[in-house]
Amino acid sequence: MAIVKFDNVTKTYTTGEHEQKALDNVSFTLDEGKFVVILGPSGAGKSTLLNLLGGLDSPSAGTITVNGKDISKLTDNELADYRAETVGFVFQFYNLIPTLTVYENVELVSEISKNSLDAKKMIEEVGLSDHLHNFPSELSGGEQQRVSIARALAKNPQILLCDEPTGALDSETGVMILKLLLGMAKSYGKTIVIVTHNQSIAKMADIIIRVKNGKIRSVEEQDKPMSADEVEW
Amino acid sequence: MLIRKLFRTAWSYKAQFISMIIMITLGMGIFLGFNMEWYTIEYDTSKFFSDTNYADYRLYSTDGFTSDDLDKIQSIDGVKASTRYISVNLDIKDSENKSLALDVSENYTVSTFIVTDGEKYDENSDGFWLSDKFAAANHISVGDNLTLEFQGTEISGKIAGLIKSGEHMICVADNNQLMPDYNTFGYAYISPEKFKSVIREKAEKTYAETMKKLGVPEIIIEEKMKNLQYDEMLDKAYVQINLISDMEKETLEDAVKEKLGRTIMVTSKNEHLVYKEAMGEADEGKTMGSVLPVLFLAIAVLTMVTTMHRIAAKEKLQIGTLKALGFKNRRILRHYTSYGLFIGIVGTALGTVLGFIVCGAIMSEDGMMGTYFDMPDWTSVIPVFCYPVMAGTIVFLTLISFLSVHQQLKGTAADTLRPYTPKKMKKTLFERTKIWDKLHFGTKWNIRDLSRHKSRSAMTLFGIVGCMVLMVGGLGMRDTMAGFLELLDKDISNYSVKVNLVDNADTIKAKSLADELKGDWESLSGISLDGETVSLDIIHNPNALMNVIDENNARIALSDEGVYLCLRLKEKAQIGENISFSPYGSSKTYTVKVIGYNRSMMTESVTMSDTLADKLGIDYHITSVYTDKNIGDIPSLNIISGKQNQKQLMDTFNSFVSIMDSMVFILVIAAVILGIVVLYNLGIMSYVERSRELATLKVLGFRNKNIGRLLISQNIWLTVIGVIIGLPSGVGVLEWLLAALAGEYELKLMLGPMTYCVSVLLTFGVSLLVGMMVARKNRKIDMVEALKMSE
Repeated sequence: MAIVKFDNVTKTYTTGEHEQKALDNVSFTLDEGKFVVILGPSGAGKSTLLNLLGGLDSPSAGTITVNGKDISKLTDNELADYRAETVGFVFQFYNLIPTLTVYENVELVSEISKNSLDAKKMIEEVGLSDHLHNFPSELSGGEQQRVSIARALAKNPQILLCDEPTGALDSETGVMILKLLLGMAKSYGKTIVIVTHNQSIAKMADIIIRVKNGKIRSVEEQDKPMSADEVEW
Repeated sequence: MLIRKLFRTAWSYKAQFISMIIMITLGMGIFLGFNMEWYTIEYDTSKFFSDTNYADYRLYSTDGFTSDDLDKIQSIDGVKASTRYISVNLDIKDSENKSLALDVSENYTVSTFIVTDGEKYDENSDGFWLSDKFAAANHISVGDNLTLEFQGTEISGKIAGLIKSGEHMICVADNNQLMPDYNTFGYAYISPEKFKSVIREKAEKTYAETMKKLGVPEIIIEEKMKNLQYDEMLDKAYVQINLISDMEKETLEDAVKEKLGRTIMVTSKNEHLVYKEAMGEADEGKTMGSVLPVLFLAIAVLTMVTTMHRIAAKEKLQIGTLKALGFKNRRILRHYTSYGLFIGIVGTALGTVLGFIVCGAIMSEDGMMGTYFDMPDWTSVIPVFCYPVMAGTIVFLTLISFLSVHQQLKGTAADTLRPYTPKKMKKTLFERTKIWDKLHFGTKWNIRDLSRHKSRSAMTLFGIVGCMVLMVGGLGMRDTMAGFLELLDKDISNYSVKVNLVDNADTIKAKSLADELKGDWESLSGISLDGETVSLDIIHNPNALMNVIDENNARIALSDEGVYLCLRLKEKAQIGENISFSPYGSSKTYTVKVIGYNRSMMTESVTMSDTLADKLGIDYHITSVYTDKNIGDIPSLNIISGKQNQKQLMDTFNSFVSIMDSMVFILVIAAVILGIVVLYNLGIMSYVERSRELATLKVLGFRNKNIGRLLISQNIWLTVIGVIIGLPSGVGVLEWLLAALAGEYELKLMLGPMTYCVSVLLTFGVSLLVGMMVARKNRKIDMVEALKMSE
């Protein structure tokens, strides 16, 4: 069943007199529970696509439907609720709150999400039970990204959106994070969308959407996606 | 090229740059304005005093001074100029309650005046030289007629000129009037020749009346009058010698005693109301200038330290880029240091302009002091010590920039190019407690943010405390002054009219007048107590129309067993101890027991009952009678020199309070602006530094309202702490100010509930307003932009 539908979506940025189309008439649908990779070079428009889907930005034209609801017409507060309940984000640079501990960073989402999961359990699942009371600055990059995954999943969202989640990590840690991300997404039955320029990650996806110059070049379904261990990094 | 960068960078940090310039402008403006105010008083008044030959000393003798006496005084080594002088308060004929101080300077070398319109001074003239302010208030012009009532006779003449005199720069009828009221009281000079003719006329009239009563035929009276001697009467009328001299008071006293062979009451200009009040105002300004404006400047400069440091930290990448491009450290330093120099110069220049505006608002003819002082020149002058402060501020601000950038330049270009890394977080003891776990996320977040950015938090707190101190100080000063006047109005003065008597009024006549008016009376005279001139206040107040009050403002029923010292003389003697004093013009010394302390509002005085004065055998003259009769019911007697309505007296006090109000208004407005600027500047800084965290919260699904509440609650927390510290600090500063002002008035700290409410509410209002201004910015935060860069 299609959970996400992009219908002729265009996003134009205006800087001074200069107009730039980051997305140009993009249409596609995504099914629930799939692992989707959006692949493309820098400046292709893949992050814009993710931001629109995440409710961080609004399209200049076209409609984005999530769960049958058009999110391109939502007010600020409705968008905030959408972000709180429907989507979870994992960023390249983790974006943890530096003044809160690991536990507090994850527990934070219980303030806004009605269906949040137990923070301690999520931290345990990402293997950081020993670091509950550490601050982000006391953790390695991989550990911080694990906290970020725990936080995203603790909201119990339908869709997990990840923007270059391994971009700031060495390859070994990157693989470990991907394994964790996919494993948890699967066990919690989440749709996962990863934006990356890394071809290797794409090999693990159910669906690969290739983007270039703001347009979708191809949407490819893989019958037999590889596991992280099978992929050559 | 780098200059272009300076302006562009300034533009990109416009909120910070503008707020830093506003703060320096405000700080410098208030500092300069308040300090210029007192210095301008000193400067302008001393010029006026010098132009009008203001007397350094005044010699008083109830028996008057002869020409011989004057010659002897003039012959004292060290006396530069001297004149016989008289100043007496007289009613204007056919006017409703208007009176003038009529002055004569016999040889016109001391206590002279400046003519602003009409004829020059002429020692033979038959006219009056009238105060130009009184003339303006009463629509009197040069050439108009004026008639004064003088002890049963009249003095008439045309207005020869309009003048200003140093002797009456603060034109009040007596010590009990705080502010001039030119509608009802002014001053005038006549020539010694005219005065002579007035005395002759009075002598002839008195002689003729006496002779007529004895039944002497009119022809004989007229014949005898041709040879009537009135010199003695004239000598008796000149009860004052005014002189200019640099001598010490004691030396002069001794010299006068030696020359004249009797003790004469000598008062220095420090004891003369005009000089004393003018210098008192200057001292008051000096005291104010040394606390509140300094606090202002300090807050401004310290906020600048924090802001500059943050800007330098934010410019780290740019500094690194310039370094990597091959710019030498010296050049980069010079470039960034010029930011501080730029802010310093612009802020100080604008501050100087503001200083002149603030000073002008207080010390100018149309300003607040314009109703108090009557002088020709109002030139605002910057005190010399302010120049190094101005230069020092510019240098200091430049140094702040220099040091902030110097810190960023340490290490290699690559080091500098690495982004600013915040300090590592560590848990405090409080965070390890169970209470901490129970706190709301927002509270934890705010507490950690405050402890992580200590200098920013401290500066914000400092700004709030400063704002609070300024408000409590300003409003409290007003409360105290208002309380002081209420005390004077309600507890001390229950009379409706004060009848002033002529010098040396006949005591029997005066007492019978008091009886007739069912009034209380008072005799004020100068005494020497431990070498200091204070007042002896002999009081007869069975009707409680004019009260003596104790420390707790309760009425004292005067005992006949001893004297009361005013609180300012408390250190002179304990209760039960004896004091010795001698009245001026008398060689006698009296020793009496101190039996209590009283609150004397204006004068430093020793108070006793008339019964005790009689028992001790003190020779006194009644100076005022207080009655609750109407002014029209008071008979015209030659012992009466003037009548004053209590309401009128209080009105003059009220205009004094309105001056105070304006100063307080300036302070409170400045405090609010300062509060807004400091808090907004630091709030924006805090917002920019936390923009990534705020964007994260937004991405997670926090609504704008929730994030706004977080930002505002931090401000509110700091405000609560700031108010807790600021309130007692404000009271402390006020107490210190009052102690410093105690020489002039006996003020008791009073703070009304409104002052507490207004100060606290305004401070919270400012904090909330700024919190909301910052929180509004959060709505526009670009989540995508804010989350792009690495930490």
